[in-house]
Amino acid sequence: MNSIIGVTLKGIFRDRVFQGILTAALAFLAIPSVATLSMRQVTELSITLSLSLVSFILLLLAVFLGGTSLWKDIERRYTFSVLSLPVTRSGYLFGRFAGIAIFLVLAAAVLGCAALLVVAFVSGGYPPDRPVAWGALVAAIGFDALKYILLVAFAVLFSSVSTSFFLPIFGTIAIFLVGGATQQVYDYVHSATGQTLPPQLRQLASVLYYALPNFSAFDLKVNAIYALPVAGRGLLLTGGYFLIYSSFVLVAAAAIFSRREMK
Amino acid sequence: MKLRYHFFSLALLLALYLAFLAPFTAFMHNKPVAEKLGIIPRAEVLQYLSADQKQLVAASVVAKVVLYFGGMFMKNPAEITEPPDFPAMSRTIHAALKVDPYNMDGYYFAQAVLVWDVKQYKIANDLLEYGMKYRTWDWSLPNFAGFNYAYFLKDYNKAAQMYQRVAELTGNAASISLAGRYLQQAGKTELAITYLSEMAKGARDPAIRKNFQIRLQAFREVLEVEKARDRFKAERGALPARIEELVAAGYLTELPVDPYGGTFYLEGDGTVATTSKFSIAGGEQARKKGK
Repeated sequence: MNSIIGVTLKGIFRDRVFQGILTAALAFLAIPSVATLSMRQVTELSITLSLSLVSFILLLLAVFLGGTSLWKDIERRYTFSVLSLPVTRSGYLFGRFAGIAIFLVLAAAVLGCAALLVVAFVSGGYPPDRPVAWGALVAAIGFDALKYILLVAFAVLFSSVSTSFFLPIFGTIAIFLVGGATQQVYDYVHSATGQTLPPQLRQLASVLYYALPNFSAFDLKVNAIYALPVAGRGLLLTGGYFLIYSSFVLVAAAAIFSRREMK
Repeated sequence: MKLRYHFFSLALLLALYLAFLAPFTAFMHNKPVAEKLGIIPRAEVLQYLSADQKQLVAASVVAKVVLYFGGMFMKNPAEITEPPDFPAMSRTIHAALKVDPYNMDGYYFAQAVLVWDVKQYKIANDLLEYGMKYRTWDWSLPNFAGFNYAYFLKDYNKAAQMYQRVAELTGNAASISLAGRYLQQAGKTELAITYLSEMAKGARDPAIRKNFQIRLQAFREVLEVEKARDRFKAERGALPARIEELVAAGYLTELPVDPYGGTFYLEGDGTVATTSKFSIAGGEQARKKGK
């Protein structure tokens, strides 16, 4: 499996994805001047923009690397040669996933450092009302990376059943959008106004809430931007949720991929 | 041959593009207000649409309003052909604050601009009190609300409660008694002048600063007339009927100038008012009527 991880990482670097990230990261240079447009929260706006930029780049990486990696192998018939090696199909799939996940962590670390530099620079010129919560900022970037790794697991799951790249790409985008809204829908359905909805609809919403990923748990942007305290227990629970959920999705993907007929 | 053909096509397309650019830019620049500000979906919908980028969406919506206001307000008042659409700005800011209830720019803009022009004071204070639930550390929100209660709504008890909160948050107990005494002793116009001076000092955005300075100038003119009116009444036992009387009797050196373009006048009870109602839109209407 280690060799698959290595091949995946090499492939990503060979495709000049990292250079692409560095080019996109040039946008960080514009953040200090854009942030001064704010009337009352320049540093907070610089954190918002930095975190959004990191998040956006990681989303693109998760969708495109996760959605095309397996599909490309199958399309170019690389899988035949790879699977003739002493590697199980599950091992191959996990290796691909782990390679992309490691790359995402690496990208998050590099982009995170850039974000921290930008925030340090802006907060030096425009001190915020409350000191910048550096811990929350690092946690926000770290949990963002975990969120997109979970999204990669979904991209791999879709790739394991799909014959084209449409399902992996668009399915992953759909999961990203739905996963960001599940908590809000659940909260709405269980609020006073939600009680007027038909009971079947409320039950369906609850079932979907438990079945679909809950990305809101990984969203610590508001804590990082406005220096709100981060609940340690929440981080632990979210970490556990990530491990269990992503393992489940990957095992399901491996089960499907192992039984798949390769033509 | 092929190269020449491509070169010719590119040159033709570039010429067409340049010819299109002027009318296209003019069209985009003069787009109607509603289209420029955009139709912001209901806050609940916006919340779902913004996925994990709520703070970014809210900040960009607020920035849109501030840029629109800045573009409008930094113009010469005579150049403004259409008054700023304050209700649309207000709706947009409210939607942004529903998406990110922590966004200070939204509350600041609502207090600095909208509360004066939209004149929905209760809604403005409801918004500030909603913000206080989130920005629990921030003393400026109760400070804004305290001013609104005292100045616009004349609810001095509520105003005192807000200043109490300011004192608790700043740890400055002296400001409670000061604020209380001030509210009782100071006249309405002086209260506004003190508040506006403080706001103008802290304003970073040039359009907002200009907005405060114009309002401040108007209130200073009002205060001059009020002082002259009070001296007139104390010495002659009756209120003057017109501001011109104050000038003629030497209580005022010259007629006050309304920076919004209206004309000051005295109401029956002696209140100093202006035909512009202290707004650019009002000044515009007053000028049209005058013509």
